[in-house]
Amino acid sequence: MSGASDREAVFPTRQSLGLMKAKLKGAETGHSLLKRKSEALTKRFREITRRIDEAKRKMGRVMQIASLSLAEVTYAVGGNIGYQIQESAKAARFRVRTKQENVSGVLLPAFEAYQTEGNNDFAMTGLGKGGQQVQRCRETYARAVEALVELASLQTAFVILDEVIKVVNRRVNAIEHVIIPRTENTIKYINSELDELDREEFYRLKKVANKKLRDTAAADKEMKEKREARMAELAARGQENVEPEEYAEPRNILDAEVDEDVIF
Amino acid sequence: MTSQADYKDRQFLAVIGDEDSVTGLLLAGIGHVTAPPDSQKNFVVVDNKTDNATIEAAFDRFTTERKDIGIVLINQHVADKIRHRVDTYTAAFPAVLEIPSKDHPYDPDKDSVLRRVRRLFGE
Amino acid sequence: MEGLFFNVNNGYIEGVVRGYRNSLLTGANYTNMTQCETIDDLKLQLGPSYGDFLGSLPPNPSTSSLAAKTTDKLVSEFRYVRANAVGALAKFMDYLTYGYMIDNVALLITGTLHERDTRELLDRCHPLGWFETMPVLCVATNIEELYNSVLIETPLAPYFKGSLSHQDLDELNIEIVRNTLYKNYLEDFYQFVNAHPEMTGTPTAEVMSEILEFEADRRAINITLNSFGTELSKADRKKLYPSFGMLYPEGTLMLSRADDFDGVRLAVEGVADYKTFFDAAGLGGGPGGPGNLAGGTGGAEGKSLEDMFYQKEMEISKNAFTRQFTFAIVYAWVKLREQEIRNITWIAECIAQNQKERISNYISVF
Repeated sequence: MSGASDREAVFPTRQSLGLMKAKLKGAETGHSLLKRKSEALTKRFREITRRIDEAKRKMGRVMQIASLSLAEVTYAVGGNIGYQIQESAKAARFRVRTKQENVSGVLLPAFEAYQTEGNNDFAMTGLGKGGQQVQRCRETYARAVEALVELASLQTAFVILDEVIKVVNRRVNAIEHVIIPRTENTIKYINSELDELDREEFYRLKKVANKKLRDTAAADKEMKEKREARMAELAARGQENVEPEEYAEPRNILDAEVDEDVIF
Repeated sequence: MTSQADYKDRQFLAVIGDEDSVTGLLLAGIGHVTAPPDSQKNFVVVDNKTDNATIEAAFDRFTTERKDIGIVLINQHVADKIRHRVDTYTAAFPAVLEIPSKDHPYDPDKDSVLRRVRRLFGE
Repeated sequence: MEGLFFNVNNGYIEGVVRGYRNSLLTGANYTNMTQCETIDDLKLQLGPSYGDFLGSLPPNPSTSSLAAKTTDKLVSEFRYVRANAVGALAKFMDYLTYGYMIDNVALLITGTLHERDTRELLDRCHPLGWFETMPVLCVATNIEELYNSVLIETPLAPYFKGSLSHQDLDELNIEIVRNTLYKNYLEDFYQFVNAHPEMTGTPTAEVMSEILEFEADRRAINITLNSFGTELSKADRKKLYPSFGMLYPEGTLMLSRADDFDGVRLAVEGVADYKTFFDAAGLGGGPGGPGNLAGGTGGAEGKSLEDMFYQKEMEISKNAFTRQFTFAIVYAWVKLREQEIRNITWIAECIAQNQKERISNYISVF
């Protein structure tokens, strides 16, 4: 019971007990929901990490093929076209679009590659020779970039999911290890306080009962004394009427009267 | 956590790499030069004369300053030069992707994201 | 007859070039090279012919540095030959370098157009296309200045004159500029080898005509094929065709009207060699056609048109050595050597990228 002090600051009343019980129930439901969400996300996450691992390896291969096609261009053109390409680049033909995908309430962005029509900065490249290789190289690289874009989506999803899973897990843990025990403690506290109150009440009642009993006893005694006194008075007035032998005392009293008789 | 505005404008790819990688990717059509007067390219060619500060500046420009870049491609051997920056970069947008270059085959052990993957699986 | 005085001026050069030709890699060398597992192995294989030049390379060099070093060897040999050449041969060799100059100038024009610091570009220029006034090109900051004060001073000035104004440099795609220059260059070169008193009627004129005609045809065909789907109009395209060659004039006229691969095929049908190329390429789906699926499987389609042109060029170059007393062997040697560099680069590339299945796409004629 280390958490004896770790409870919420509430007055131990029946009303707050009710509130706490509702809260505990809520926390438990929330916990199981979040736990399920976390599991779903983790499943997804693992899948993504596995795919990233695969894709990254595949990328090595794809880029090698692409590099080779560039080598082919260099081979065919017979020179380095790098500078010319860099200078003639103007508007991106290959762009990405970001869209969202909903995984257990988490919006995962995904990149989607698309090519804009019409602008081709390099159509003339290699006009004299090597043009076919240049075109082929462009296609190869476009495919490679598509693969890269896919990988980038996975990676972004990975980063976001990583973050979200951390947050969710933190919440799950917070609920499991902080909120629920605390609420339980509070309930326990309220219960114990209420019990204490109950006991106090009981004791008080008992006291009251005792007192009443004592009072009654005292009253009885008084009554008895009164009656006895009256009896004695009656006996003094005339013994004849007084028959019972069991009254030993009266005998004594009679004895005393005998004493009076002496005076007689 | 990611607001709509944070990525809906991100439509370009950027590349930091050696000449061959850049040429290839430009051939694929990713090259974009923004309109003058402050025309900015979305690609940076790194050769062995380029110093790390320039690479870092380019990396910063692509990752933090420009809001229209969705993916930053960087050659692994270039990323190695500014490894600390790449490793500490954790934002989702833009995505930073390490790619192999012609003369430097891909080494999965160096990739910052793959390393995170590994760590998560406790390998 | 022509042999009578040839050796007085050019005998030494011919001997040297024939010696260089014998050091070209042979089929057996290439077979050995394709067996290499790493670039270092390849370097070792290249040792006998390129040893001095590759020595300074670090272990496992990049393919581009390998290509640069092998080119260095060609350049140094070329410079040696050029330094020893006199008279018409010297002029002939200058003509040889104009082709590279065109590429260099195109590069510098691109740089100037984009207001880059063109000095950085000098490193990228092909060393064979280097000319004395080239660094001066970098002084020009705008295209008009470049045209009026600098280009005029270069050996290429005649090729600009009359066909390109400085506005053209600004407005036209650099590829069109380049190809216009190249067309003018080819025509000039053709005229040179046929009209120069030391060469008319000699084997030089004969062999060089064949080579240049082939080159002209190849460019015409390539330009046509590559212009499909671009903004290059048919009229503009026609201007880029050299006005000689086996296809000229009927073939080129048909080329200028061609709309697709089949149109080009029809246009070149008159020449048996090209017809064969196109038939072979046609089977593979044709360039630009649906045949270009995965880049990795490209090797399976057989040779591309470009490959066959290279092959043909190499055959012609090889045959040039069967002739004596001709300058053409210098040209042929340079071309063979360039092809060798391309082959080495290709093989190195395949090894580096681990794409062994396509490693045999090199062209070897010896």
